[in-house]
Amino acid sequence: MINICKTQLNLLKSANSVQQQVRTTFVLKRKYEPLLHKTNEKPRRLRAKHFIYELVEDTQVKKRPNMEVVLKTFVEGVGDKGDVVSMKPHFVYNKLLLPGLATYKTPENIVKYSKTEAEKSTVQHSSAYAQRTVTMLESIVLAVIMNKDEPWVLEPWHIKASLRKAGFHCKEECITLPKESIEGPDLLKENKEFNCTITINKLEQATLKCRIHHWSTDPSERLPYVLEHWKLPAEPLLDRSQMEVSTTDGQQPII
Amino acid sequence: MAHATPQGVKLLNGFKRPNRFEKGLGAQLPDAYKKFWREWKLTKPAAVHYIPKESEWERDEVTNAIKPVQSVPFPLIDTPESHQGIWGGEAVIKGFQKRQPTKRRVPHFWVPTLRRSVVHSQVLNEYVSVVVTERTLEQIHECHGFDHYLLKNLACDLRSALALKMKRKILKSLQLGCPALSAEPNHQNEVLKEYTPYLASYTSEEIDWYGHTYLEAIRKLQNQLRAAEKVLPHKVEFRSKLIERLREAGISEAGKKDPRDSISHSDHKDADIDALTKLESSASSSWLSKINPFGKKET
Repeated sequence: MINICKTQLNLLKSANSVQQQVRTTFVLKRKYEPLLHKTNEKPRRLRAKHFIYELVEDTQVKKRPNMEVVLKTFVEGVGDKGDVVSMKPHFVYNKLLLPGLATYKTPENIVKYSKTEAEKSTVQHSSAYAQRTVTMLESIVLAVIMNKDEPWVLEPWHIKASLRKAGFHCKEECITLPKESIEGPDLLKENKEFNCTITINKLEQATLKCRIHHWSTDPSERLPYVLEHWKLPAEPLLDRSQMEVSTTDGQQPII
Repeated sequence: MAHATPQGVKLLNGFKRPNRFEKGLGAQLPDAYKKFWREWKLTKPAAVHYIPKESEWERDEVTNAIKPVQSVPFPLIDTPESHQGIWGGEAVIKGFQKRQPTKRRVPHFWVPTLRRSVVHSQVLNEYVSVVVTERTLEQIHECHGFDHYLLKNLACDLRSALALKMKRKILKSLQLGCPALSAEPNHQNEVLKEYTPYLASYTSEEIDWYGHTYLEAIRKLQNQLRAAEKVLPHKVEFRSKLIERLREAGISEAGKKDPRDSISHSDHKDADIDALTKLESSASSSWLSKINPFGKKET
């Protein structure tokens, strides 16, 4: 992501050198110019027709070019400390400059806020967008749909397939299941919750709430559908995860 | 005849009406304020609502005749609201539109698009919610910060009483060494290093008189004059002198100095009067007590 930003930066550099004068307003001109007056004398008295103006341009409706700023700290979804990012001016002003997360791009500021060697070696964030993925993963309740007729043991690829159904693509190596093996089919485990951990970019970890549902290929064998079952409270499947679930329940409701 | 008039020989070039700095209290305004006034009202502001013509001469498009460029500026209206916000040099334009060649001209006001936003002053360490235009924000970005925008631009380009007031506040705070940032000495030093070059173009008196409107400047001058001459009524002055002389003469009714100071002001006056009346009544044989209608009657 950082590389993409830098390439954009280089592209924009050439555009900035041909910057126009700031004129964000109505620019007018007279329809009828007044007659010439004597040099070193007052201009003639203006007639009503000299107040007829024509609009040359309204710069308010023009698209504003992007603004470049230097980030002071890591900003989620934007960039890391010392990055020069180019974004829309209103977003930059309201979300970065006013809260003090960024400063204007000057040679001094680039040097001042560039990352030191010590900061580079201790990587805290793999990417600007990783934390966004973490919050998205933690906000969902994943339905893990298992077979009701054939015996199975829960494996990472089950979670991978369920995540893909929910719109998340991840590799099997990223998924860490609970230590106790979960076996089935077992209708006692229907709609019970357990947590598994997803590792993003080998650094950030997200706790994913999963619930087991049984499904049969024969329509008559299927369980009755519960409307919006992910909004209802669920019992924990494992004893250990029971503790974790109870703690997370206090902080945020299950959506 | 000319020599007999207050304008003297200058009257030979025609009578000149005295302006606001030549009559009344305005004549007493210091040069520091006049300098600001020149910067604010008598300087040509940057082109905002028109495209300035750079060349001195131009060729007529139709006739190809060469004629001089005499750009007569359009009248701009500074509304009271423009002084409560920071419009970045924009103003209201009153004029006409000719929408169709066969139709009569239509009156029209071109008013800038206003929005409320927040500006941050590093020197004052404050966030201020103000009404701004898009141009103001772009100028702030171009100058790399709100403080730089205020300090770099002349009063005629700021075009707002609020902006000028904030500029004076910032300059005063810079003079004092940024007291708002005293909690973080490192940051304070950085800010001072960044902004102190702007102080070079002002003296302390000029900063004091910067950014006042004419009426505010007159009020400020009046307050200064009033503070300078404190009027003490003669009654009080002469009475205290008399008591002092009585004390020197060793008259016991005049009292002693020390206990009097401890008494509050209103009591002090009463005590004075009592002492005096006592004096008068004690000298009952004096003919003066008989004349004085306010003196105590003898029993």
